[in-house]
Amino acid sequence: MKAADLTVSTGSHWHSGARITDFSYNTLLALVPAIAMGLYHYGISAAGVIGTAVASAMIAEAAMQKLLGKPVTIADGSAAVSGLLLALLLPANTPAYMVVVAAFIGIAIGKQCFGGLGANPLSPALVGWAVLRITKPWVGYLDFDLALINYDLGFSMQYPLAVLKASGASGLHDFNTWNLFLGNQTGGIGASAIVCVLGGGLYMVARGLVRWEIPLCFLLGVFIASSLFRLVDSAAYAGPLFHIVTGNVMIGAFFLSTDNSSAPINRWGMVAFGLFCGMITVVLRVWSVYPDGVVFACLLMSLFVPLLDKLRASPIIVRPATIQITKEARREGASS
Amino acid sequence: MGLRALFGSLPPRIPYSTGNVPVESLALPPRATLLWGGASPGDVGVAVGDTVQTGQNLAREGAGLFMSTVSGTVEEINSFRGADAVDYAVVGINTVEVDSYDSSIKSIEDLDNAPPEQLLATIIRAGFPGFDALVQGATVETLIISALDQEPLTAVSPQVLIERANDVSAGIAMLRRATGAKKVVVAIPHNSAHAADGISVDLAEIVKVRAVYPNGLPEILAKNHGAGQALKTGRNGTVGNTLVVSIEHLVGMVSCLREGRPFVNKIVTCCGKSGGELKNILVRIGTPVSMALDNLDVKLPPGGKLVINGPMHGYSCFSDEQPMTATSDSVLVQEPAEVHRFESTACINCGRCSAVCPEKLEVNLLGRFSEYSIFDKCAELGVENCIECGLCVYVCPAQRPLLHLLAHAKLVLEEETVGK
Repeated sequence: MKAADLTVSTGSHWHSGARITDFSYNTLLALVPAIAMGLYHYGISAAGVIGTAVASAMIAEAAMQKLLGKPVTIADGSAAVSGLLLALLLPANTPAYMVVVAAFIGIAIGKQCFGGLGANPLSPALVGWAVLRITKPWVGYLDFDLALINYDLGFSMQYPLAVLKASGASGLHDFNTWNLFLGNQTGGIGASAIVCVLGGGLYMVARGLVRWEIPLCFLLGVFIASSLFRLVDSAAYAGPLFHIVTGNVMIGAFFLSTDNSSAPINRWGMVAFGLFCGMITVVLRVWSVYPDGVVFACLLMSLFVPLLDKLRASPIIVRPATIQITKEARREGASS
Repeated sequence: MGLRALFGSLPPRIPYSTGNVPVESLALPPRATLLWGGASPGDVGVAVGDTVQTGQNLAREGAGLFMSTVSGTVEEINSFRGADAVDYAVVGINTVEVDSYDSSIKSIEDLDNAPPEQLLATIIRAGFPGFDALVQGATVETLIISALDQEPLTAVSPQVLIERANDVSAGIAMLRRATGAKKVVVAIPHNSAHAADGISVDLAEIVKVRAVYPNGLPEILAKNHGAGQALKTGRNGTVGNTLVVSIEHLVGMVSCLREGRPFVNKIVTCCGKSGGELKNILVRIGTPVSMALDNLDVKLPPGGKLVINGPMHGYSCFSDEQPMTATSDSVLVQEPAEVHRFESTACINCGRCSAVCPEKLEVNLLGRFSEYSIFDKCAELGVENCIECGLCVYVCPAQRPLLHLLAHAKLVLEEETVGK
């Protein structure tokens, strides 16, 4: 047969049109309401943190890729998403150098050292945030009550989880769950805009960019664990709704824990991952020295992803007994 | 967007075509090319210059069956390796207008009472593919007659069901006896359920199948409506317990057996470009695809793609001389702009491939293991269960050549086992 001027390849010869950028650009879009509420509450300083984080994450990505001799892929938007998620967890007046350090460490060590997008075992934004959180001289900057002391936004300027930690559930009478849900609470720039984060998260789920299992089970895990604590002592431990509408739970459920490469992809793996993230969050909120435990819970569970990947919905071979005629059997059949 | 995306395990909706596409006959090609999979030129029993008859076995004695679908003079004997890594013996024949038929295919007047062995032997001798395993001793638990096309942009089966409805019942009864199947299932597309009206309920169980890819693939039919696994003969022997026969082959058997003629004409759906109009043509098996394209007035675009057997799991050809075979259902021409470009991007672990995989394989891991030649891990993850439906490639946002990687791993593992 004579070759013609044709393209050849394996199938499929059609494609759905999905792109890597679908994930990152839609995440940016889904976070716009949360950014808007952050800007509304904290003004230009919030814009500064967001801008610095996104820019330094992208620069870090480009610099590392140049250094490692890889093609520069900042246009795929994944570094921008990491930067943005980092910024949304931080108080509005975090010093710029801290933001830069977190973004660089998150991208350079948390992502590029492991091979870049898809190969990172931990979410870069969470790595950056965790480094800031455990760096002793900077602890005060991440304490929302200290950091946001100069703001008066017309609602209680105490960080709800810090109040819970200090005085137990009985000290929470200032907080109304509905108000907290509407975002009238101090906290990270975007993480505290609960209703906006939820809206963006539901958009991501509806687009199929975030699988519903992880967010649902994350919230369920928080609900279960906090209900158990509540059953033991309702004066000391806050109820499940309070836990869900405060701190980083909402952004954690929809955006932090669902980072593609640091989450499992099998249904039962995702269910277990979400449940454990949620429950560990509550356990850390109750027993750790930190008021919130979402980021550490997500980081911890991400380390278990290779194990969770082994949880399968069904066994590989879903077929009943099959006949197998081997060459030997055929030869025997022929001779007999 | 919506429910389908919400539950990521739902496969993307790729519907089969439903329209009524009349069949037009194509003239006999001046030169036919016959392919014999898994054979070498040495297995061919005729020489260049020999005259052959329609239905004549061209294999040398003891080498099996390689049936000529045309009459004429052998012009070329050659070999080539197909995209499926199978070696083919190729015989080119200059055809003559009037067929002279080989006498070794005997007509069976009374299909209802002929012995099953005779039926089966005649079916195989008449050139219907997929029955070899039965003579080697495989048993058929369930026989599935599929009135679904395997691929989108194909309109063969609905058309046969419309035009040859009378032969279906006779065919089912005959094939049931010939194969000794315990159960017969007729799979009908859900949107043309009335087509099954003429089939007696005593004869077969009729199931409505959603006319959406990949529901028409034999492996999926066997899993959902049969005894589990489609019969398949590979290098490592035969596996499976469910025989899936297309409705076109079924009605073909009825007429071929009654008349004692070989199976030489095949309906092929042609499509000038994705989304274009479909056209059904009846071609002689062995007709080069270029003739079908000339009939459609389609020029092959330089750098475009010529796809046989559908856009999802079909194969692309490097030559427009590629002949139609007994299993060619469709021809699709893609413009260069339509051709999907694969990328060497790393996997981003989004998990869509695993979510759509009808065999529930962990395609994200398999793709990476195969990429780095870690084939023992591929075997652990069950890569041999891949049915090469192409859905993982269809949904991959990183445009990774997943099917290529999985097929490669399968081939390597298969060759290792054959060597043992």
